[in-house]
Amino acid sequence: MEKMLDETLNEAAETVVGPSVKIQGDLNSEGNIKIEGQVSGKVKTSQSVFVIPGAKIAADVLAGNAVVGGEVQGNLKISGHLILQSTAKIIGDINCAVLRVEDGAQFSGKCNMNTGPVVNGNGKKLNHDKNEPELEPEE
Amino acid sequence: MEKFEKLQTELYGLLAEFKIAGETARVTPLRSVQELVDTASQRGAKTLVACGSDDTFNLMLAALKGRDFTLGFIPFDENSNLANILGIESVFAGAKTIAARRIEKIDLAKIAGSYFISYLEFGVMSHNIKNESLWQSLKLLSSESKAFTIRIDDSYNVTINGLGGLAVNIRSSASQNDKIGNPTDGNLDLLILERLGKMQILTQRGNIAEGSLEKVPNTTVIKCKKIQFLEPRGSNLTMLGRVVAKFPATVEIIPQRLRMIVGKNRTF
Repeated sequence: MEKMLDETLNEAAETVVGPSVKIQGDLNSEGNIKIEGQVSGKVKTSQSVFVIPGAKIAADVLAGNAVVGGEVQGNLKISGHLILQSTAKIIGDINCAVLRVEDGAQFSGKCNMNTGPVVNGNGKKLNHDKNEPELEPEE
Repeated sequence: MEKFEKLQTELYGLLAEFKIAGETARVTPLRSVQELVDTASQRGAKTLVACGSDDTFNLMLAALKGRDFTLGFIPFDENSNLANILGIESVFAGAKTIAARRIEKIDLAKIAGSYFISYLEFGVMSHNIKNESLWQSLKLLSSESKAFTIRIDDSYNVTINGLGGLAVNIRSSASQNDKIGNPTDGNLDLLILERLGKMQILTQRGNIAEGSLEKVPNTTVIKCKKIQFLEPRGSNLTMLGRVVAKFPATVEIIPQRLRMIVGKNRTF
């Protein structure tokens, strides 16, 4: 998935926020958004958001998928995959279907995985019942 | 003038050859483009074809004032940017295209009560980089950046220390990226160039001269329907080097508003 997102990133994103750009307000897009600068407000797209290392977001992010390498102060509501790269710093709550956190990523907040069947790394189904362990025991 | 007469004679011959019927009228010091468009409107014309330079077409577009026509263009200028965009490379191709009447509905952009289909420039402009000497263009690209404030879609403000940029509806064939400058997507594309290092100036000068700013590293790209240029006040917005408005100014897109006769080799 990360490779696929990286490939998408290398294609022309519909919206690119350059390194010296500051955006104040609600950034809405119908395509991929690549953020290298600063955004305060809200970021919203049904496609993917890429927060490049060095970028700073003080806003809630609503997106289909997200790859975060920069700093986000706000809640991330991602309907698909969320990847926190080693340089990521998140202060806020995360809501997503699939989460990958690389070594070194900083995250302070609550995490909620709220979709239907999601499989773990071994291809086994994760159990969402709070009274039962998160992972099925290995046989 | 001699060249103009020659092209006009060639055009009359081609109109007869391709059996293109209609009235022709020439702009004179006593008959402006506005008057010709008004007269055509009064006589119930459905199609207007501008023959001349990009400026001729832009003047015709401005003279429409919201009236509904199908528009065409025959270039008398071999360096016409519009001719490249529309895929009409010569007077012959122009007459042939008019005869074929391949019509596309395209977006129309509006600024300060006037209309355009191509693009506007601000700050350090591609038009200048293309037309100035190498030394002068390098000097322009090395100049100090300006603090621009631009409001997008009445939703958010963009603040940037940049060299300049483009607000694009359509641009010439120089660019390969069909997502930018598509006049049928109902959007404008705002491209803003950041300050460049010395090496970048040398390597990216060609892309900037062609208006392909998205190929230059760190360029900001925003797709939108409305752009309000707020700061710095008094900065020029130009079309092909001609000032059309000053900051503050608003550019809006009117989707699929214009019926345009286009060639097979158009860029969109």
